[in-house]
Amino acid sequence: MSAGASNPEYVNARVRSRRASLFSDEDYRKLIRMGPSEIARFMEETEYEREINELGARFSGVDLIEYALNRNLAKHFEDLIDWADGRLYDLIARYLRKFDVWNLKTIIRGIYTDTAPDDIRTDLIRAGELEERTIDRLLETDDIEDAIEVLYGTIYYEPLTVAYEEFEETGALVPLENALDREFYENLLADVSGGPGNEPQEGPEAKYIEFLQAEIDFRNARNALRLARSGADLDPATYYIDGGVLFDESELSRLVGDYDALVDHIAENRRYGDRLSEALGRLREADSLIQFEHALDAALLEYADTLSSIYPASVSAVLSYILAKEREVENIRAIARGREVGLDENEIEEELVIL
Amino acid sequence: MTEIALTELPAFVETASIALQNNGSAAMGPEAAQNMADGYGAAAAGIAVGLAALAAGYAERGIGAAAVGAIAEDDDMFVPGLIMTVLPETLVILALVVVFILG
Repeated sequence: MSAGASNPEYVNARVRSRRASLFSDEDYRKLIRMGPSEIARFMEETEYEREINELGARFSGVDLIEYALNRNLAKHFEDLIDWADGRLYDLIARYLRKFDVWNLKTIIRGIYTDTAPDDIRTDLIRAGELEERTIDRLLETDDIEDAIEVLYGTIYYEPLTVAYEEFEETGALVPLENALDREFYENLLADVSGGPGNEPQEGPEAKYIEFLQAEIDFRNARNALRLARSGADLDPATYYIDGGVLFDESELSRLVGDYDALVDHIAENRRYGDRLSEALGRLREADSLIQFEHALDAALLEYADTLSSIYPASVSAVLSYILAKEREVENIRAIARGREVGLDENEIEEELVIL
Repeated sequence: MTEIALTELPAFVETASIALQNNGSAAMGPEAAQNMADGYGAAAAGIAVGLAALAAGYAERGIGAAAVGAIAEDDDMFVPGLIMTVLPETLVILALVVVFILG
């Protein structure tokens, strides 16, 4: 009961209340019929009011919606990090570092293309763990090496320094971005799981790990399917993320060459096979990969929802909220972008992930 | 916790009085022995109420935290939050009954 003890009760109460204000299916049905400016007006009457008002003078149309969504997302996730203490903080921050990675990538790309700091700033989603000050200092730097120096003391410093050498040789940003992604995924499971076969067997943390493994597995599956589909001559091992249960590295390299075997491998997996069977069926009929990726997203979301009802006062409910919120933001963005380019309602509906 | 304290109490008082009968009869008169037994009874009641209060406090810790969280999101939750928070106090009230039984 020290000051550093985790406080799942408090965070859960707040998170559940915020979860209740997410858009419902009904809202989505309304949104699908609206144009970008109508969507913005609709959002103004909901919980995005403040962001829309703040940004309304500077942006319009789809940009306004997009920036408002990002800012709102950042606000909520920042709150989560503020509220949580102790172990709970650790577990939440671990997942939200994904936004740090996103921000760092954006900044590096911005520096690479000589974009003005203010323009980069609007594209950031300040929901991660990196401090405001660090990000401001990053924005002031003009070359990537200096930016990496600013990160000294964070977990990203070392992998970036290693990747920087490769970047200098090739001039491509890919090694830097891969290093960031890899660092994020490797840190996801660090310290919680005692390695394969040695994870906690029950309780909320076991479920949390199961969820993270699913996230890693799906990421691997997605990469593998894309590689197999495109037939690109890339070494799958560079994109392989360790820690999942679906593939090991050699399996993945072998399966990428054979598309059908890859799909079979996913279908035979005990943990995911049943849950994804419908989507896999569609994938076999050589339908679009996007549909399958949406099915993966939906499976993750459903997974997190189940978790939150098994262990009500734990990190699971928070995680499930994070996913639901991300999904909402992505759905609204898909609707707005879809309307902008003139897709019809059915096409947009296919792009949405609604449970 | 009240239950344990309640069920153990008679045994506790009994051992106390047996001890008094065996060793105390030579050293102190019946009045002193009675006083001592009363003292043990009071101490037992004190422990019972104390433990119950501790348990109630522990239970209220989680509920209170959740209630404050709910109130922060929605002011209307103040009254339900308050009621939920003090519910475990019933434990202490039940434990107070012990004081009257022993008194």
